[in-house]
Amino acid sequence: MTQSHTKISQYPPGDFAIWIFIYAELLVFGIFFLSYAFARSQNVELFNESQLNLNRISGAINTLILITSSYFVVRAVAAIRENKSLLCARWLLAAIVLAGAFIGIKLFEFISIYSEGISLSTNTFYMFYLSMTFFHFMHVIMGMVILIAVMLKAKQGGYSNEDHTGVETGASYWHMVDLVWIILFPLVYVMR
Amino acid sequence: MQYQSQAVAKPYFIAAIGLFVGQIVFGAILGLQYVMGDFLFPEIPFNVARMVHTNLLIVWLLFGFMGAAYYMVPEETETELYSPKLALILFWVFLAAGVLTIIGYLAVPYATLAQITGNDLLPTMGREFLEQPTITKIGIVIVALGMLFNISMTVLKGRKTAIIMVLLLGLWGLAIFFLFSFYNPENLVLDKIFWWWVVHLWVEGVWELILGSILAFVLIKMTGVDREIIEKWLYVIIAMALISGIIGTGHHYFWIGTPEYWQWWGSIFSAIEPIPFFMMVIFAFNMVNKRKRDHPNKAAMLWAMGTPVMAFLGAGVWGFMHTLAPVNYYTHGTQITAAHGHMAFYGAYVMIVLAIISYAMPLLRGRAAGNSKKAQIVEMWSFWLMTVSMVFITLFLTGAGILQVWLQRINENPMGFMEVQDKIAIFYWMREVAGVIFLIGLIVYVTSFFIGGDEEEASS
Amino acid sequence: MSEKFTKSMARNIFYGGSAFFFLFFIALTVDTTAKLPERDHRENITEQVVLGKKVWEVNNCIGCHTLLGEGAYFAPELGNVYKRFGNSKEAIIGFIKSRPVDGIPGRRSMPQFNLSDEELDGIAEFLKWTSEINTANWPPNIEG
Repeated sequence: MTQSHTKISQYPPGDFAIWIFIYAELLVFGIFFLSYAFARSQNVELFNESQLNLNRISGAINTLILITSSYFVVRAVAAIRENKSLLCARWLLAAIVLAGAFIGIKLFEFISIYSEGISLSTNTFYMFYLSMTFFHFMHVIMGMVILIAVMLKAKQGGYSNEDHTGVETGASYWHMVDLVWIILFPLVYVMR
Repeated sequence: MQYQSQAVAKPYFIAAIGLFVGQIVFGAILGLQYVMGDFLFPEIPFNVARMVHTNLLIVWLLFGFMGAAYYMVPEETETELYSPKLALILFWVFLAAGVLTIIGYLAVPYATLAQITGNDLLPTMGREFLEQPTITKIGIVIVALGMLFNISMTVLKGRKTAIIMVLLLGLWGLAIFFLFSFYNPENLVLDKIFWWWVVHLWVEGVWELILGSILAFVLIKMTGVDREIIEKWLYVIIAMALISGIIGTGHHYFWIGTPEYWQWWGSIFSAIEPIPFFMMVIFAFNMVNKRKRDHPNKAAMLWAMGTPVMAFLGAGVWGFMHTLAPVNYYTHGTQITAAHGHMAFYGAYVMIVLAIISYAMPLLRGRAAGNSKKAQIVEMWSFWLMTVSMVFITLFLTGAGILQVWLQRINENPMGFMEVQDKIAIFYWMREVAGVIFLIGLIVYVTSFFIGGDEEEASS
Repeated sequence: MSEKFTKSMARNIFYGGSAFFFLFFIALTVDTTAKLPERDHRENITEQVVLGKKVWEVNNCIGCHTLLGEGAYFAPELGNVYKRFGNSKEAIIGFIKSRPVDGIPGRRSMPQFNLSDEELDGIAEFLKWTSEINTANWPPNIEG
């Protein structure tokens, strides 16, 4: 590997510490998914029946939103690699706005579920649905906080094409949040 | 010893070891009461001896933590302690409170103790590990706040290293979560939920910060590895510990009246609780391999290396063994829990305190780096005696627990509790033998402090 | 890789991650305490039950027994003792009252606590109430 090459192809991108965190998070979500699969196999009927009550359209819209925001984050990283700080900040802002939209739609979903009197203790399906989506929801908020911090620093010209580990770190975390949702949505909302 | 005020750590360490001896003597009494039910009855019934055993453990570990803090803070912050005098006053207050409480346990019936200490005004007594009279609890809070004031003021005027910030956070957390011991609602379920905010968020939460920070300090001193490397791994390990451990509290919320979703939350998060301990093992051994010097204090090194290994076994492996809800349904409240408790406390907290004592005591006694070779060999003997016998205590209790679960909980014709206890008595006998060997190891340990000889040269 | 592993990022993850999971833990705790009345039947906590809990505490019963599996493992589980004793308060009271002062030679024995009739009634009521807590079907059988 040549010197000039390492800058781009260095793996993993971002700070290694975030990857330890990402692996830990993926592990938790992974165990959650396996637990869900196991619990579902014990009571397929209940799961299928309760699943019909979910709002699949809002889930699908949210999937598109997160994928798009992930793309914007990719653009932001590409922009900073070309030393365009303001452009980077603008792409990040776009991603953050979409994350806000996700949270809005999700809140709407939670409120309508809550108004039906459904809670963690209603049945095993809702326990998993609420646990996993709320846990993920909190991660979206956390990811937003991280992206906002990165955006503010980018705006002040805190990154450059030479040094933009922070942007990559934030981007890596955001992709993880997106990735989890891409598994979560079909698993909980769609698959029967 | 680079700073004069570090000397205040010495009485703390001495008191810690003294109370440790008391704890183990009572442990041996308890072990005997398991097989000879009328031993010392009715003078010292089991519940009193157990209270002395567990409370002494907590108090001597706190002495150890405080001693460690007073030793580490000046050296890390590169400034003298804010007030060495306050540290010494608090030492005597804490020792007096501790000793008086133990005497109270032994001298009068517990109900009488509750009455004369005014438990009715603010009932906090009679809950496991929080048996101390309310005034003792208030005393603990005062001592803790005094110490926190003292070391926080020191840190404010000095260098703020990661190790010291983590230690400070751990000690503040210790004091803050202890406040939940004053909350004793009439509703048993609520009582139990918040009781764990003290017990679990201590030992699987903030205490791990103290553990990590002491371990990192000792490793920096002994291996000479770059502070940057050690401190960043410290952060990663304690991050993992809290990420898994905080919601891991849920593994105590399976069967105490709490909603059933805790069976999932608790199981999932405690399944990853062994990871930080495993990382700690890898980390410690890596740092030793990267060492830039061979420190002459071999005994301290042994304790420091033993800590993550035994913590991983006791807290990680033995904890995981019975933490998943479907397993815990059968093992909850059996000797399996006792087995885990013994090895986890020894591996994580006893050993780290002995590690810092082993490192710091020779320096506090004016030696250049370590004790004489002869003294170190004796100390290392005590390490192996105590550690191996603790492994056997754990194994025997695990055997007892498995049999107990089988006979009392799984069997088609379950036997009654007392009947099962008779059936598994052989394991209790073997545990008692291992316990006596532990006590011998502890005596050897204490002896090592009185062995002179030429001290080891300091190497740079 | 290692040069892109910084202490400041590790520190941020520690503080951020811990705060995140602690907030989450608080959220779950809030939900738990809201759900609790359905499971602990707190409407049945009478004056006797309150007195019973106090008697339980000031005699350090937890030093030998477990209650809902928590405590010492020297003496039987008492969370379901009311049911084990045939749903009988009298059986519990009779047992406590009849403990020999000097113990039983060679065997474990519960101390004689010399409780008043009021206290005995309280402890029995407390154990009765405890046996009615919804503990997710724990213990596995009546032996505790």
